[in-house]
Order: sequence, then structure tokens, then C-alpha cells
Amino acid sequence: MNLRYASLLLLLCPIASAQSDRSFILDQSTLTYHMTHPIHEVDGVSHAAKGKGVCHTGQCDFLLAVAVKTFDSGDSNRDLHMLQVTRGAQFPIVTVRFRLPESALDSPNLDCDLEVQFAGNTTHYAHVPFHQVMEGNRHHITGTVPSTLTDFKIDPPSFLTVPIKNEIPVRVDTTWSQQ
Amino acid sequence: MATASRFPATRSKSVAATAAFLLTATLSPLLSAQTTSLPDAPTPSNPELASLNPQPLDLAFFTADPFQQSTSQNPAPPSLSDLGLTPDQTKADPDAQARLDRRTHMLKVHQKLGLLTTIPIAAACISSAGATPDKNSYGNTTSRDVHVGIAGLAIGMYGATAYYAIRAPRIPDSGPARGGIKLHKYLIWIHAPGMILTPILGTMAFNDIASGHKPTGIAQYHQAVALTTAVAYGASIIAVSWPIHFPHHGAQ
Repeated sequence: MNLRYASLLLLLCPIASAQSDRSFILDQSTLTYHMTHPIHEVDGVSHAAKGKGVCHTGQCDFLLAVAVKTFDSGDSNRDLHMLQVTRGAQFPIVTVRFRLPESALDSPNLDCDLEVQFAGNTTHYAHVPFHQVMEGNRHHITGTVPSTLTDFKIDPPSFLTVPIKNEIPVRVDTTWSQQ
Repeated sequence: MATASRFPATRSKSVAATAAFLLTATLSPLLSAQTTSLPDAPTPSNPELASLNPQPLDLAFFTADPFQQSTSQNPAPPSLSDLGLTPDQTKADPDAQARLDRRTHMLKVHQKLGLLTTIPIAAACISSAGATPDKNSYGNTTSRDVHVGIAGLAIGMYGATAYYAIRAPRIPDSGPARGGIKLHKYLIWIHAPGMILTPILGTMAFNDIASGHKPTGIAQYHQAVALTTAVAYGASIIAVSWPIHFPHHGAQ
């Protein structure tokens, strides 16, 4: 009988090891882009991001995605212009991918290399600092992606014939829960 | 003693069964590879024998693709489908993009024409000072003619500005207007009727003055209606720009 149990354990061993991998789901998110114009300071906010992280053999791959049309600047006309200038109907989703060593997941400071796909272009941001606060199995991560319009080949929109600034930093405030 | 002698026999059977089980599990990929080349097992023609024929062993669990096993051990990075996003949510919509492009183009023209229209509107307001007849000078029509010409240009440009806003394609599912654009649209209900009424009252006033007397009836409200229209128009431009951020506020 003991041999039976041992053989059953042997067979189930790979399944058991696969279940030990950690995965994360994005619980809450607030992504905010900031746009500057000589007579306007605008923040566009989205709470609709979805995300997942999967760890295996010491490396964790994360994916965060958000629909461009979910950003709300408080002005529907401006939001539609934003959707047009960022080609949001042609490329409706912004994705952010990054990989972290599993050992770094519990650190209060994260150094992330981001791959951002937006408006039909892909841009890499190296060593973007994020701050992390852990509460139980929840990871509250905040930081800012230093994105610009030229990174994604977006023509700067203008208002009253004056274009907006090239810098469009995106503030990231996310809460991930470990599964 | 008879019972004691039966235990080793049972145990040896159990060990043999377990060994066979493990061997089957190990060799199952090989077995599955060979099944295609092996002929089918003969089936008994006698129904009584057929009922006694044991069901074939289901090897599906053991013949799993080794590549699939390895990928499950090395899970791929998350994909958009893992996030619950459907293809409908992620697919490109060139028609919608073309509609957005056309809308933005037309509203840019609307914006430029609207800004340019402020010049003849302002000029019409200024020239109206000379259009009012002095006592006993009803015959001097030059200043009134200038005012009429400038006002006509303002109304023509206003019409063109409105055309580009009206003809700009609507975007489905964009929801109700929010922000400064809402007040911008509300103010249309003041300056659009004003732009129609002002020249009508102006013509009536012009005819009254040409007849040698002061405007009477509703014609006497031409100036008030014109000023209200001009103020609403200016407010409409400010509304769509609101809130205005002054640079020195940011410095503080």
C-alpha cells in the first residue's frame, strides 16, 4: 500500500510543483495622464485597467492593459480628440509588460523595465522606479511612467493654435493581489 | 496459517500491478505513437462473448502530449485573453478611426473660423456707434452702410463656422456632453437665434431710419439683441476653453 501512495505521489509531483508558482491579479487601478498646455493643465483618469502577473522559475511576467477610450479628462469633447490623435479606434488597447525577479517582489522599491504598446508603437522605458507597500497578500504599487508624445509618434494636438507639451507623464496607482 | 500464506501472494500481486501501472505511464507516449501503425484488435462475433469483452483501457491521461506538459511547466507570459479581453474589445476599427479623423478635422476648421469670426463681430459692434443717426442727420447713410457690410460678413462667417460644427460626424456611444463643451452647446441657444434675429431687426431699423424717424416697435431692440448675441458668442469661446490655467498659478 505504501508503494501505491509513493507512486501516486510521484505521478502528482509535477502538478504540485506547477501549483507552487505565484500569480497576481490586478484588483484596483488608477492610471492618470497629465497634459500641459499654456492655458490648460489636464488630468485624464482611467480605473478600467486589467492586469495579471505569473511567476515561474524565479521570474515574474506582468501584463497590464487598458482601453484608450476609458480615460476621462472631465470633458467629453477633449476625450474624443484624445482618442483621435492617439489612434484609439485603430489601436484600442494600451499594454504595459514588464518582468521582475521573483525575489524583488517583496521589496519596497521596484526597478522596472517597461515595454509599452500604445497608438501602434512600442516603446521601452528602462529602470522606471516604482514604490511598493504590502498589506497581507496585496501589493500596492505606485509610480510614474515618463512617457512623451514623440515616443509613440503622436502629433501634438493644439488648442487655439498652440500645441500641448510633449511630456505626458502617466501616474500609475495599482493594487495587485496574490492568488 | 492458511490466511498468513495468502498475504504475501496478495502483496506480490499489488506490487506487480503498481509496477505495471508505472510502466504504462512511462511508456504511454511510445504506446500512443505506435497505436496508429497497429491493427485493430479482433472483435468477438458471438454476442455472449462480446458482453464478456472488457472495456479498453482509457490511455488519454497517460498519452498527453509531452510538449504540452513542458509548456504547462513553463507558463507563457500573460496575454490579453488571460485578462478577459475579448477580440471585439481589442480589434481595430478603421471606420471608427476615419470618423474620428473627419470629426477632428471639421472641428478644427470650426475652431479656426470661430476665432476669425470674432473679428467682424467685434468690428460690427464698434461700427454700430456710427450707425445710430444723430438728430437731423438721417440722410447720412455711409456709416450705417459700413456697419451693414461688416455685420453681413460676421453673419456669413458665423454661418460657415456653424456648418462645420453641425456637419462634423457624431461618435456613437460617446455618451452625453461633459465639461466645457456642455456650456458651449447651451450657449448656441442664445447666439444662434440672436444671429438670425439681429439682421432682421437691423433691416427694420435701417428702413425706419431711412424713412426719417427713429426705429420703432421691435426694431428698437436691434442693438440689445446684437450685444446679447455678441456676449453669448464670446462666452461660448471661453466656455469651451474652460477651465483656463494661467501660467503664474502653476508657478505658485
